[in-house]
Amino acid sequence: MAVLSLDGLSKRFGARLAVDRVSFEIREREVFGLLGPNGSGKSTILRLVTGYLRPSAGSARVAGIDVVRNGTLARQHIGYVPESAPLYGHMRVAEFLAFMGKMRGLKHESLARAIETAVERLGLGSVRHAIIERLSHGYRQRVSLAQAVLHTPDLLVLDEPSNGLDPRQIIELRNLLRQLAQSCAVLVTSHILAEIERTADRAAILLDGKLLTVEEIGQQPAVLPPPSRLETLFLDLTQAKAMA
Amino acid sequence: MSLPTLTAKEVQALFTSPIAYAVIAVFIVLSGYTFTVTLFVSKQATLVHIFFQAAIQLILLVPLITMRQFAEERRSGTLELLLTAPVREIEIVGAKFLASMVVVAAMTSLTLIYAVLLAVYGQPDWGPIYSGYLGVLLLGAALVSIGLMISALTANQIVAAVVSLGLFGILWAIDTLAALLPQPFENWLLGLSLLAHFTPFAVGAMYVSDFGFFLSVVLLGLFLTVRALARS
Repeated sequence: MAVLSLDGLSKRFGARLAVDRVSFEIREREVFGLLGPNGSGKSTILRLVTGYLRPSAGSARVAGIDVVRNGTLARQHIGYVPESAPLYGHMRVAEFLAFMGKMRGLKHESLARAIETAVERLGLGSVRHAIIERLSHGYRQRVSLAQAVLHTPDLLVLDEPSNGLDPRQIIELRNLLRQLAQSCAVLVTSHILAEIERTADRAAILLDGKLLTVEEIGQQPAVLPPPSRLETLFLDLTQAKAMA
Repeated sequence: MSLPTLTAKEVQALFTSPIAYAVIAVFIVLSGYTFTVTLFVSKQATLVHIFFQAAIQLILLVPLITMRQFAEERRSGTLELLLTAPVREIEIVGAKFLASMVVVAAMTSLTLIYAVLLAVYGQPDWGPIYSGYLGVLLLGAALVSIGLMISALTANQIVAAVVSLGLFGILWAIDTLAALLPQPFENWLLGLSLLAHFTPFAVGAMYVSDFGFFLSVVLLGLFLTVRALARS
C-alpha cells in the first residue's frame, strides 16, 4: 500500500492555481523528492498533505486515510518539518520534545523512550537541556527533525531541510535522511538538484503547480558513498572549528 | 485529548515573557492606590469602585495578554506546527483562552486582600462583593475571547492589541452612541454594551440576562477564533 497517495490534488488562491491536478504515490521506506523553482507549488503540496491547507479539488491520503475527511487521524501518521523549522524558543530541547510527543498521544514511558531514541538518533544528547533559542541553526534543524520522528510516523515531510545549513550540516542531513528512510517514507522538497539526486529514490519535477514528471533516480544505499574531494577537504579544514 | 498539555504550554509561555508580570503588577498597583484613597475618603466597606476600575483596567490590559497568542505563533511559524499536529482547532483555542484566564484570575484574585481588609476592619455587605468578582471574571472572559479572535486574524501583535483596544472601548461605551439613535436601534446597541451588562454585577444585582450576555460573547468569540484558524 502507498504511504502517500495524491489524486488530482489542486489548490487555488483566489485567481491563482498554485497546485494543478497533481497525482503521485510514495511507497514505504522511500525518499521522494519534490523539485521545482521557487513558487512552483512544492510547499503548498506539503501543506495540503499535512492538513495545514485544504485542497480546492482532489484528495490526499496518508496510510490510506483521507487528510481532509479524517484529518486528526491522518496527522498522527505524519511527521512534519516546515521550511523555517519553527520551534518554541523559550523551551528547553527535552521539554519541547515532551510537549510535541504529548500532542501526538505519547505518554509516560513510551514518551520517555521516544525522546531518548530521538535524542540519540539526532545527536542531541549534548544540548537536551539547552534553551532552544540559544542553539545554532544546525541544532535547531535537528530538534525540528527530532519532534517530527518522535512518534515513528509512516510519512516524514520535510520542506527545504537543507536551507541555511553549512556544508558539514548538509552532509549530516543527507546521511540522516537515509537512516530515517529505513523506518518511514520521506517526502522532501528542494530547489537544489544535487541534494535530491544524492538522497532521493524518486523525484517529481514541478513547474507552476503542474507535475511535469516523476523520475526514478535509482535505489540509494542505506549508507551514502563517501563525500567528494572538495567536501572531504572542507570537512578536514573545518574539523577543528566543529570540534571546538 | 491535548487540552491540558496545550494549556500548560500556554501558561508557561505567558509567564516566561515579562508581559504577564507587568500586567499583573500595573493592575494591582493601580487597584491598591484606588482602594486606599477611596477607603480613607469615603470610609465605606465597599469594593464597587474597585470593580469599575478593574473593568477599565481589563479593557486596557487584556489586549496585552491576548495580542501575541495567535499573532506571534503565526509570525514565528509555530502555528503551522500546532495545526499540523493531531490536535483540533478547538483545543488550541481553548488552551489559549484558559491560559489567558489564568492571568486574569491571578490579577483579580490578588485584589481579594482588599475584601479581607474590609472584613477585618469593617462589616462589608458580601453580596455585591461576590457578584462584583463574578462580573469582573465574566467581563475578563468576554474580553479575552474577543482579543483571541482578533489575534487569530493577524500576524502582527501591535495590530492585534490596537484593534482589540479599539473594539473593547467601543463595546464598553456603546450605550452613549445608542442614545443618539432611534428605536429599535437604540435598544440593539444598548444590548451590546459591556458597561450596561457589567454594572448590575458591580453593584450587587445579578441577572440571568447579563450572565447569558457574557457567556454568549465568550462562546461567539471562541467560535469565531476557531473559524479564523480553520484550514482554508
